[in-house]
Amino acid sequence: MNTVWTLAQAGYPAALPEATLAHYLFVSAAMFVIGLIGFLTRRNLIIMFLCTELMFQAAGIALVSFSRFHMNMTGQSFVIFIVTVAAAEAAMALALVVLLFRKRESLDAEEWTELKG
Amino acid sequence: MNPDTTAPTPDAASLLDQWMLGLLVLVPLAFALVVAFSPDKRARATALLGTLAAGLLTVVALARFSWSNGAAFQFEHDVHWLPSLGISVSMGADSVSMLLVALTALLGPICVLASWTAITERVRLYFVSFLILQAAMVGVFIARDIIFFYICFEFTLIPMYVLVSQWGSTERKRAATTFFLYTFTGSVITLAGLVYVAWINAGMAPGLYAGSGSWTFQIATLQITASQHMTLSQQSWVLLALLAGFAVKVPLFPVHTWLPLTHTQAPTAGSVILAGVLLKLGTYGIFRFAIPFCPDAFMHYAPVIATLCIIGILYGGLICWVQEDVKKLVAYSSVAHLGFCVLGLAALNVAGLQGSILYMINHGLSTGALFLLVGFMYERYHTRSMKEIGGLAAKMPVWATFMVFFVMASVGLPGLNGFVSEFLCILGTFQASDKWATGVWGSAGTAIPGATAGNLGPWYALVAGSGVIVAAMYLLIMVGKVVFGPLKEPAGHGGAHGHDEHHGHEDAHATEAHLPADLTAREITALLPLAVACLVFGVFPAPLLSALKGPVDQTVALIDTARQIPPPGTPSTQTAAADLRTLEHEPKEASR
Amino acid sequence: MTIFSSLSMLAATAAPKPMSPILSGPPEALLVLALPILGVILCTLCAIMRVRTRMPAFLTVGCLAAAFAITVGLYLKSGPAPVITSGFEWINLSWGDSAGENSPFHQFIANFSLYLDALTVLWMLFVTGLATLIALYASEYMSGDVGTGYCRFFAAFNLFVFSMSCLVMGDNMLMLFLGWEGVGLCSYLLIGYFYKKPSAVEAAKKAFILNRIGDLGLLMGICLTYVHFGSIEYRDIFAQAQPYIDAAKAGRYSEIPAIVQLIPVLLAVGAFGKSAQLPLYVWLPDAMEGPTPVSALIHAATMVTAGVYLVARMYPLFLLSEIALPLVGWVGALTALFAATIGMAQFDIKRIMAYSTVSQLGYMFAGLGVLTSTGAAFHVVTHAFFKALLFLSCGAIMHGFAGQLDLRKLSGLRRMKGWGIVSLGMLVGCLNLAGFPFTSGFFSKDMLIGEAFVTPGTAPIGWILLLTAGLTAYYTFRVFFRVIVGPVHYEPGDELHSAHEEHAHGDSHNEHAHGDSHNEHAHVEDDHQHHDHGHGGHFHPHAPGWAINTVLLTLSVLSLAASGLYFVPTGVHGGAVPAMVDRSSAAYQSPFAHHAIPEGAGDGGHEGPDHAAETVPSYVPTSIAMEDPHAVEHPHENAGTFLGWDPHAVLFYVSGAVGFIGIFVAYVLHYAGRTTAATARADALLPMLGPIPRWAQHKWYVDEFYNLVVRVPLLALAHTFHLIDKLLVDGLVRMFGAIPRWLGTLIRPTQSGELHGYAAGMATGIAVLLFIVFMLTLR
Repeated sequence: MNTVWTLAQAGYPAALPEATLAHYLFVSAAMFVIGLIGFLTRRNLIIMFLCTELMFQAAGIALVSFSRFHMNMTGQSFVIFIVTVAAAEAAMALALVVLLFRKRESLDAEEWTELKG
Repeated sequence: MNPDTTAPTPDAASLLDQWMLGLLVLVPLAFALVVAFSPDKRARATALLGTLAAGLLTVVALARFSWSNGAAFQFEHDVHWLPSLGISVSMGADSVSMLLVALTALLGPICVLASWTAITERVRLYFVSFLILQAAMVGVFIARDIIFFYICFEFTLIPMYVLVSQWGSTERKRAATTFFLYTFTGSVITLAGLVYVAWINAGMAPGLYAGSGSWTFQIATLQITASQHMTLSQQSWVLLALLAGFAVKVPLFPVHTWLPLTHTQAPTAGSVILAGVLLKLGTYGIFRFAIPFCPDAFMHYAPVIATLCIIGILYGGLICWVQEDVKKLVAYSSVAHLGFCVLGLAALNVAGLQGSILYMINHGLSTGALFLLVGFMYERYHTRSMKEIGGLAAKMPVWATFMVFFVMASVGLPGLNGFVSEFLCILGTFQASDKWATGVWGSAGTAIPGATAGNLGPWYALVAGSGVIVAAMYLLIMVGKVVFGPLKEPAGHGGAHGHDEHHGHEDAHATEAHLPADLTAREITALLPLAVACLVFGVFPAPLLSALKGPVDQTVALIDTARQIPPPGTPSTQTAAADLRTLEHEPKEASR
Repeated sequence: MTIFSSLSMLAATAAPKPMSPILSGPPEALLVLALPILGVILCTLCAIMRVRTRMPAFLTVGCLAAAFAITVGLYLKSGPAPVITSGFEWINLSWGDSAGENSPFHQFIANFSLYLDALTVLWMLFVTGLATLIALYASEYMSGDVGTGYCRFFAAFNLFVFSMSCLVMGDNMLMLFLGWEGVGLCSYLLIGYFYKKPSAVEAAKKAFILNRIGDLGLLMGICLTYVHFGSIEYRDIFAQAQPYIDAAKAGRYSEIPAIVQLIPVLLAVGAFGKSAQLPLYVWLPDAMEGPTPVSALIHAATMVTAGVYLVARMYPLFLLSEIALPLVGWVGALTALFAATIGMAQFDIKRIMAYSTVSQLGYMFAGLGVLTSTGAAFHVVTHAFFKALLFLSCGAIMHGFAGQLDLRKLSGLRRMKGWGIVSLGMLVGCLNLAGFPFTSGFFSKDMLIGEAFVTPGTAPIGWILLLTAGLTAYYTFRVFFRVIVGPVHYEPGDELHSAHEEHAHGDSHNEHAHGDSHNEHAHVEDDHQHHDHGHGGHFHPHAPGWAINTVLLTLSVLSLAASGLYFVPTGVHGGAVPAMVDRSSAAYQSPFAHHAIPEGAGDGGHEGPDHAAETVPSYVPTSIAMEDPHAVEHPHENAGTFLGWDPHAVLFYVSGAVGFIGIFVAYVLHYAGRTTAATARADALLPMLGPIPRWAQHKWYVDEFYNLVVRVPLLALAHTFHLIDKLLVDGLVRMFGAIPRWLGTLIRPTQSGELHGYAAGMATGIAVLLFIVFMLTLR
């Protein structure tokens, strides 16, 4: 029944025995909230973008930790995709931000209200 | 798509037969692909080649079609698509389908010729849309599966939307949107009705019918289910749903307002196809679905439908009278004409149905030609207002000759095609009353299946017939103003300035430079086949009538059965009804 | 090889067997239809090849003369029974169970086949004969238009003859309808021949539309005939109607269902439209906008008699109805009178002739109504000749005087050089029309009036016709005394002048035709100047040439000789026309009839049907004389009298006298002592009559009345509908579109477009969702 699969299941490394799932999730939640607050309060497009990345990675951490907890590799493979996509996305987004900056000479998010109904 | 691999390897002829209808759809699509990747200069020639190839293939199909067995679906072929849902691309054509496919194929090259100089921008996109449209229209006529039918039915909208919105006149965007939303809304409801029938057939619905237990969308199967196992109220709802789409497409009276708008804004070839074939999708749908699926309900509501038709005939006709835009006039005349067409269907007897199906073809020929003529005029004068132009016979005698000819065909002059169908529709309506048999009107006749039964009658025919007078009125007034009378041309015509606001995208300077005062050989080539067809079908419609005999007799037999046996709901009759209410190939055998 | 051939083969195999035995007719009858079509094709080719000679005219004359020759051959061959020449299948439907197929009611057949009986041949004889003559006339008359217009004219002319042949020769009612509408089309095209004149276009349109009203009646009649008799082929209809005919013979009208009695009424509506009777007559006078040969052929001699033909052809059905024939008779009589009153007050000689045509057609209908189909047919024939003559004479005048038709501006033609034959033609025509004794018009009109007095209950019609005869004589000779005799005076008209001017104008625009038409162009300019001189007082009327004179002379002789058609025995029975009518479906042996046939000539003239009954197959309607016991035993007791005398004995004198009175009045008022063209003694009388002459001159304001009562309300309705369509119907549809749009505007302000707003919204949304989830799960 209790087949040991990984070192972690075997209690290794023993140096951080107290780092349970709750800790990881706490970090994840903290990162997400920081990202959210940052996104809602800051106006600079680049900062806002970084905040979204922060939230993104928070979600990634949660995924990895659950994956680790449940011994189901789907979550981790998912995160690998997310990281790749995030990289591509970062490249795209920064390019867009540069383009937007060229148009208005500003990085203020309030400048862009094209979607106003 | 996977062809049937299980079938034994057939010889070339039967392989051709098997793929005939598929090719009729695929050839225009293939040419659309070619046009998309060919240079602008060669686009129209390629498109012409494509339509001609499709036409040639249609000729082969017509020649291989067994006309003596017109009621049977021929060239049948199934391609599995989503077998788990019972959806397949299944094709087959009876003589009605075949004739309408022929009409489509005939109008194809004509439309390409008509767009030769009128379209100067984004030529490729134009012809690609056009070829896709043609493929979709053929698909509608040959579909034997509801989903395939519906997909083709809706797929006509997209190219048409592109044609109207890109190459139309000033209000083209609004017209295209109206056209799309109007017809789309209607046909979604139609889809719901059709799927409801499939749902009943699959036995998913609680109620009378146990069902087959698995999904299928084959029209033949569903027809039997719908006509045999649905109660009158179920049939009525299905009929309502079907008519929601088809009546918009026809268009019948209260839902016709998209038509004049779209016609006036569409480019010439778009109008030709719209009037020539797209409107027939509605009447074809009524003939193929509404009547055989819901015979009882259709019979029951025939007077309502006929009343709507008659209102359309008179109302559309009278509105034509006060139009100033020639194209709008012809568009409204379509409302009136299609009223006759559906009236013939509502008569539900041989004369009416024959007349109606002939009307589909004849209207496509004569009204299509009228739109061509109006388009040729517009290309020269950049206006269609009867206030600005007049007496063109002096300047364009050939054009005027064609105009008078096609107006006469449209008015229903005996000897030309319009008359035969119009007369048969009126005769059918006139006959379609039970009172002829019961002696209410002092007639000692007996009820004759396929003729004197129904709930229309002479009053309907009389009022509809007065539409003939109205038709003469508005069309001759139009001819009197535009063709005859003192010559009147828009101010500044001839000088190349001053009317850029009249037209949308066409380049006035480019086109005017090429066009002589009267029709060119290319334009005459486009008109001549239509004129010949109008004359031949007017004088010698007998081949068409006998070709249509099979399907019409079958439908009439179905209606007759429905007349004798009330729909289920009264459980005792259920089994008898189950035997009789089929639209299978041998209805008479089934009844013995 | 082609699909079409395979289709047609299929159609041939599907053709069912005919219902009744057919006596197959001579195949060359089809040539009578084919030759005018050949003419159409040749004229079209001429137009395409831009022929600028008078070739189309001569091709037409050739084709029509050949058709006439064939018709004569048909006449010589024709036997007592009708024969049917099969053409090809036109419309053929069948339905019902297999047992019932090929029987009436189970199939609808309308073929391109010809029904040839004496009535057909009679009509075809004068149609093709007159068409040939008038085509010859037109070759000269239309020579000013040589070119595409000339080709167009003769193509339509040929097409007309074809349509008329279909109408007359068709073996079913739908074929008749084909011809019926076909002649309407040709009439439309030819009235509108001068298409640059708005009035001509208007008149053409009016003719077509008013005819269509009648056509609807005919169409409904055809449908009703079909539904009741199960066929629209004449032979089947007559066979099916036989029981009713028997009932009618015995006077048992109550056995005939109302619906059968309705059929002839509907057909009569069609006939009234085509033959310009009340209330649909208004198009015919306006139709005079067309070229005069057209007026002569279509609007006087042939097409307008199609209604008479229809009634005569369907006479068995008309006899079945108690209302149809009185309706026909009264409408005819009232039209005759009404049109005559208008004709008296007109100044345009062509219009006068037009109203006289309406009036004379009224006579024919009245004749049919008072049960003398023979008289009506005879009047059709004589009228065709003398009215064509009158119109062609008017046309010659119009041609020579540049479109002048006002009788106040023309006078003394007789004394002008080269106008002798025209004057003679006018004289002969007027004498015939006025019913001058021993002219053919006299005899035919007398037959009608006499029969009206003979047939019981129709004496009022007789009195109306007699009064109209006097009026006719007056207005006819009013024209003669004003235009032909009297002091020489003329003013040129301006119609051709303006037409040419427009023509030249049009040509200068037309780049294509410019080079080709150079010569003609120059000629037109020449003409143009010529006319200008004319206004300056140097106008020279050009007298008609050989073609016009030949035709006028021929017609003069023929219209005088036409009376012989009634009197000269043909060896079979009686004169040609009565014999022919009696062998046809129009045969009717009135029990009261003892026509005014001179002893010896008409010996046994009306026994024809009884003779024929032995040889003729059963489907031929024979005499349908009422075998009312009273009538048969003592026919003369029931027969009406003319003030106590035998009508046929005294009416020769009475109607002759009435005619003389009319001519005398015209002489006194319009000839005696007249020194100018514009005025006559009649002008002094006008004030005494108050506004009546003015009203009559304005045609009793019937056009205005129709306009007010029919056209204006319809137009208003059309505008209303247009408005409704734009606002209400489209509005409703738009409303459905507007509801979502309105909802959208409600929530629109929430879309600020600011990124933070959206983000805050999302965050709030997630928070709310989480809150709900927690509340639900942690409960």
